[in-house]
Amino acid sequence: MKHLGKIMAVLLALTLVFSLGACGQKQEPEQESEQKPASTSGADSETAEPEAKTPEEPVKLIYARGMDSTKANIKIIEAFNKKFEGRINVEFREMPSDTGAQHDQYVTAFAAGGDEFDVVDVDVIWPAEFAQAGYSLPLDKLIQKDGINMDEYMQGQRDAGTFKGKLWAMPKFTDGGLLYYRTDIIDKVPQTWEELIAAAGANKGKEGTKFGYVMQAKQYEGLVCNAVEFIAAYGGAVVDGNGDIIINSPETVKGLTVMKEIVTSDFVPNNITTFTEPESHTAFIEGQSVFIRNWPYQWALGNDEKQSKIVGKFAMAPLPKGDKKAAACLGGWMTIINKNSKYPAEAWEFVKFMCGQEGQKISAIDGGNAPTYLPLYKDEEVLAKSPHFADQGFVEGLKAAVPRPVSPIYPKLSDIMQIEISKALAGEQSIEDAVKHMDEKMKAAVAEAK
Amino acid sequence: MKKLKMSESYAGYLMVLPAIVIICAVALWPVVRSFWYSMFDLRLNHPAKSAVYLSYKLDMEKYVDTRFYVEGTLKELKENTAGHKGVEAAAVEQQLGTLHNQLMQSEAIASRYEPVKQLLDDFKPVSDATLRYVDLSREKARLYLNTIAEVTERLQALSTAENDAADQAVELMEEFRLSIMQPNFIGFGNYRYYLEELKVHNGKPGRLGMALLNTFYFTISSVFLELVLGLAIALLINKSFRGRGLVRAAILVPWAIPTAVSALMWKFLYDGQTGVVAKFCDMIGLVENPGILLTTRMGSMLSIIFADVWKTTPYMALLLLAGLQTIPVQLYEVGQVDGATKLQRFFKITLPLLKPTILVALLFRTLDAFRVFDLVFVLTGGGPANATETISVYAYKTMFAQMNFGRGATLSIVVFICITLISIGYVKILGADVLKDQAE
Repeated sequence: MKHLGKIMAVLLALTLVFSLGACGQKQEPEQESEQKPASTSGADSETAEPEAKTPEEPVKLIYARGMDSTKANIKIIEAFNKKFEGRINVEFREMPSDTGAQHDQYVTAFAAGGDEFDVVDVDVIWPAEFAQAGYSLPLDKLIQKDGINMDEYMQGQRDAGTFKGKLWAMPKFTDGGLLYYRTDIIDKVPQTWEELIAAAGANKGKEGTKFGYVMQAKQYEGLVCNAVEFIAAYGGAVVDGNGDIIINSPETVKGLTVMKEIVTSDFVPNNITTFTEPESHTAFIEGQSVFIRNWPYQWALGNDEKQSKIVGKFAMAPLPKGDKKAAACLGGWMTIINKNSKYPAEAWEFVKFMCGQEGQKISAIDGGNAPTYLPLYKDEEVLAKSPHFADQGFVEGLKAAVPRPVSPIYPKLSDIMQIEISKALAGEQSIEDAVKHMDEKMKAAVAEAK
Repeated sequence: MKKLKMSESYAGYLMVLPAIVIICAVALWPVVRSFWYSMFDLRLNHPAKSAVYLSYKLDMEKYVDTRFYVEGTLKELKENTAGHKGVEAAAVEQQLGTLHNQLMQSEAIASRYEPVKQLLDDFKPVSDATLRYVDLSREKARLYLNTIAEVTERLQALSTAENDAADQAVELMEEFRLSIMQPNFIGFGNYRYYLEELKVHNGKPGRLGMALLNTFYFTISSVFLELVLGLAIALLINKSFRGRGLVRAAILVPWAIPTAVSALMWKFLYDGQTGVVAKFCDMIGLVENPGILLTTRMGSMLSIIFADVWKTTPYMALLLLAGLQTIPVQLYEVGQVDGATKLQRFFKITLPLLKPTILVALLFRTLDAFRVFDLVFVLTGGGPANATETISVYAYKTMFAQMNFGRGATLSIVVFICITLISIGYVKILGADVLKDQAE
């Protein structure tokens, strides 16, 4: 018995040793192959051999962006992969449609120094944060090297991508809040918010509609966009040019009061405070609403015969005016390169293609997105598909869109605005209190972030 | 003989040692780690606070990169401004040059400078931490920060218009300032911040206080309802009837669906326009209009509680069923012979014998419910008006949306403290119960 025990012990020990050894052997080649692309970056020439091998196999880039209800981005990737066949192969990762959820996934990956995404589409409000945190690659040197004329891009978008004097994100397409209305119901487009409120109330129910107006009022990022439009239309602002908080003003109160009047009126859905973009555009393309406030993608979606019941029965206009002006919230998407990407040169090729003339043209024709590359507004193929791009008012409206606060702590500021405005809309606090609370909390957050 | 006994007891300890090590590693270590992080001002999207720093460090990547831009901007400034201002620009350049030379005197910095520059010129990240970060002495760090502050002031005086060369240089100085990692240990600063959020201002609790209230409200109501319904279901499926196997299996279906999926399902059911449940509530006059379910404080909280009850009652029923099956049938027979009514048998036999099972089931469910996240996140995202924000949702937003890991870790510790208190409470009741049984 004693012997048996000893033999067992030895056997056990041996199996352990062998299995460990086997593990070690298996891991080695894997580790090597993983490290190679990274180490070729260094100056050492030891890895010259595998470097010679790489050109044969195309470099695989991972490109991520949010859900696209149109298929434009698939076409862009196909076109790029065809053009660079054998050299670069872009693979697409679809992210959630909620921009906040996207943001959280990206920052989690980037904060860990991950290289799972090479190229990522970012909302116009993120470049400052991503740049400050060191997630993205500054593009100035690359742009200089390839001689790209940045004057051909829209100024507002370039500003959104610029932080501390460097450009961190390439403008892809621009967005602004726009008003869409049913041409079979409305003859005269409302010019002011007061007119819109009257028209929405009076025309609700005509032609099978259930609502007069739909917007986005859930406690999420879209609420901030809608609020900024009302605030700016009545002459208020959230931050000034120096990044100081100036939200506490009678103008802001006035704007938000009009917003609340609409949200609590009887011509919006009774659950408007759960509405994000998909809920509102579904209501509109199902023919349920007379008016909608939405981004430019609504145009292509509404004219898509497979999904929409209102093809050819709607038109777009700038958002109504407040006391001061008509204000659209600057939205839109830009493209960054992950700073930890293993293939920055190839990633730049893709960014250049997608945000350049070829990519933006596909995005404009198939996705209905407004280009940031200005020459495309004179391109005949683009204008044939989206005649409104020739409309000077539309283009000027987008160019004059008001940005949301540009700040490296934007997520915190947005969180404060979402909560306080949502509370005001739900009737838990007065508009005046909401504005006062936002002012106090945002000032504290800015001071703390220094 | 005695020696043998000693070695045997040592051997015994040796045998349980791995278990103790594993428990420490998987259970205690994360808590210790969270507590450690909660003592720091740790913000992953802040360049100088993205890790735990106990000493001053210089971020070579940032320093070298910024230096490239500073040189260009200062050159532009010198060329474009004449007279006094040009001289001042040259003086600033001189001052920064001196600072640079002082830094380069250190062997650690000088030896890293060129490799880092090389990597940056190739657009590669400096991913090697030992190459990227250099320890600085306190004096040197102070000297660096003071110089940058001085230069910033001088440049501000030179700036005449927004975004001119001097203004850009000022922004670059901010980059220089952030190249130094300062020790970010703040002791109980984060806890003081949240203590403030617990206090009641103008009759309303702060955000953390509200989140805790929401969490407790959700936990108590959902666990209570689940207990009552779960017990009823357990009693039912403990009886023998035709098709009992099928019913037992069917009852588990809600529990088998992933929470995120069932939350989405309930979102559609509660929808004010198309939701079946919303329509039904409206028809029987429970609510004024179908939209109320997800748009009001009361409605959304009750909706979440109901969805949770639907999902986890089967789990409760399963646990209680297991307890019911351990009660000997003879007891009921004796009761029947003695003439006890059904109600009496339930209260005198079933409940007392089921008590330990109920307490264990309650413990499991309370801890689970207290950490509720997925249901709330998918169904309401914490809204409307932050009425359904639970402590886990708050911690998620702080950590993963705002990347403030110091604060987020503090909230995790708050959750940990609450969970511990709840567990201790239950264990006290359970323990007393078991002891009493033994005494009898």
